[in-house]
Amino acid sequence: MLFLSMAWRNVWRNRRRSLLTIVAIALGLAFNIFMRAIGDGFHEQMVDNSVRSHIGHLQIHGGGYHDDPGLNKTLPSPDQVQRAIERLPGVRGYSMRVLGDGLASTAENSAGVAIVGIDPQQERTVTTIDHGVVKGEYLKPGQARPILIGDRLAINLKADLEDKVVLMVQAADGSMGADLFRVVGIFRSGSPELDRGMVFLLRHDAQTLFSLDGRITEAVVLLHSSLQVPTAQEVLKAALTKQNVEVLTWYEVEPFLLQFIELDDAFFYIIVVFFFVVISIGILNTIMMSVFERVREFGVMMALGTKPRQIIKLVVEEAFVLGMTGVVIGCSIGVAATLYYASHGMNLSAWGEGAAALGMTSTVVYTKLTAANLLISDSSVLAVVMLVGLYPAIYASRLRPVEAIRHV
Amino acid sequence: MAQVDLENVSRTYSDHVDVHALRSVTLSLEPGSFVAVAGPSGSGKTTLLNIIGGLDRPDQGVVRIANLNLTSTPPDQLADFRLRHIGFVFQAYNLFPVLTAMENLEFIPALQGMPKAERLRRAETLLEMVGLAEIRDKRPNEMSGGQQQRVAVVRAIMTEPEIVLADEPTANLDSASASVLLDMMAELNRQKGITFLFSTHDPLVMERARRLIRLKDGAVVSDENRDPEPAKAAR
Repeated sequence: MLFLSMAWRNVWRNRRRSLLTIVAIALGLAFNIFMRAIGDGFHEQMVDNSVRSHIGHLQIHGGGYHDDPGLNKTLPSPDQVQRAIERLPGVRGYSMRVLGDGLASTAENSAGVAIVGIDPQQERTVTTIDHGVVKGEYLKPGQARPILIGDRLAINLKADLEDKVVLMVQAADGSMGADLFRVVGIFRSGSPELDRGMVFLLRHDAQTLFSLDGRITEAVVLLHSSLQVPTAQEVLKAALTKQNVEVLTWYEVEPFLLQFIELDDAFFYIIVVFFFVVISIGILNTIMMSVFERVREFGVMMALGTKPRQIIKLVVEEAFVLGMTGVVIGCSIGVAATLYYASHGMNLSAWGEGAAALGMTSTVVYTKLTAANLLISDSSVLAVVMLVGLYPAIYASRLRPVEAIRHV
Repeated sequence: MAQVDLENVSRTYSDHVDVHALRSVTLSLEPGSFVAVAGPSGSGKTTLLNIIGGLDRPDQGVVRIANLNLTSTPPDQLADFRLRHIGFVFQAYNLFPVLTAMENLEFIPALQGMPKAERLRRAETLLEMVGLAEIRDKRPNEMSGGQQQRVAVVRAIMTEPEIVLADEPTANLDSASASVLLDMMAELNRQKGITFLFSTHDPLVMERARRLIRLKDGAVVSDENRDPEPAKAAR
């Protein structure tokens, strides 16, 4: 205790120098926590946007559908799949869909589209397409062949509400299917890809169009938390082991998204390492100066019987005091800034196009504070400071008392 | 009982030229002695104290304290030996500037692992004894030189070592403060039987010492034993 008290007071012997070092540690840590929180919030929003706009946390298809989609790869037993999903813990919603490709035409223009047949109520529990309706209304059961199209597609097709759109497809039996639909709503998901190339129909209409006769192409599952994804995948795989189905996670469906997040994390860590190196040099300078100024004192301590390891302990404790004070201040600043932007959001509209390309539906990013961020940031700063303190500590412990006492 | 024996101890410092700090010094100190080592600057006084205190090693010869051969003791063990058997008083006081008088006194007992209550009790008793109770919570920069040196002496004897080595303890003090300090050390020597070995230029110290060893160019030139009887409480 006497040593710790000594360490504390030694740190404050040169108040200005220590304060500057603490400010450097605190700002570095606050920056680290805040940037990590922006990254975490940004990544979560990206994933959430992708998951909620279309892909869900888990997708179940007939075997081999993901690598080579086709109308012949429908779910062998949709009822069993539905029961397995309903038994799965942590399910927030699911949607049984019919998927296919076709050509959408109006009197003015035509475009290739991905056709999604949905049960509107089911789909509402998984995706946010219903919230994205900017004109008209969402699909309703009972409507006469309604179609929901993206705003960019509407521009391309020069289609508006109540306009007729003809969908031409190759049906499951090989025949050409064509039907007339009426635009009931125009949506904007925020994803240019979806808004330009996806249309939603009632599931029954899609089954008729593709001659699928009650069959289902895809079951999409939304969980309460993305942390549950790996476990849920295993449970579903085990439950459907006898069926020729594939159970895929969102990151298997959209590997680009995960790769982007991993790459973004890697860049962040490179910046953090560089930052730590710069701060470490400052801390090393402070502690070395403090040791050089006290050579005589260390000599006296050793003459009185202090062992080298106790000298190391004292200097490392001084580094700990510097680091801990910096961590407390830096953590407070970092958490305060993070919490502020977690509730108010950061407006990144200047980079709106880029954000949209990354699947962001909003240009406002909400920071996300995680225990892992605080734990890793705080402990790594503290560890770096103490590690840096080790060199001057060892230097001090190797002084020869008889020479150190004479040091002026 | 801490008998100090030096046999043919020599120490040479080699920088650009060889400086013979000690040349074949042989001497013994009885437990409870009160000894001054005098001589001009560069005569080897401080080197002699450093070697007896285990801070430096001789190039030749043997140093034994209480039958421990310091010349062959490893550094960590030497640190422990100093902690438990030797007290140091330095010319420049060398109190720890961030600690109060009480905390400075606690330092060595804390290193020894003495319980805090016992440390405080001892420190308070000794400060009271040397008339420094009022400065117990003051830091060195708030004390006079005489007060600092008295605290340094109390620090040296806090754990009742067998030997106190005092390097020019009165050099920075006025004669009144020096006299008070010497009275204090003489009293501690008498009461507790602690051996005191001073290096000094100060005639007052030489006058008060019961044995006076004179060094010149690293060799003992005279060894005057004025009072062969060591302190009664010698340990």
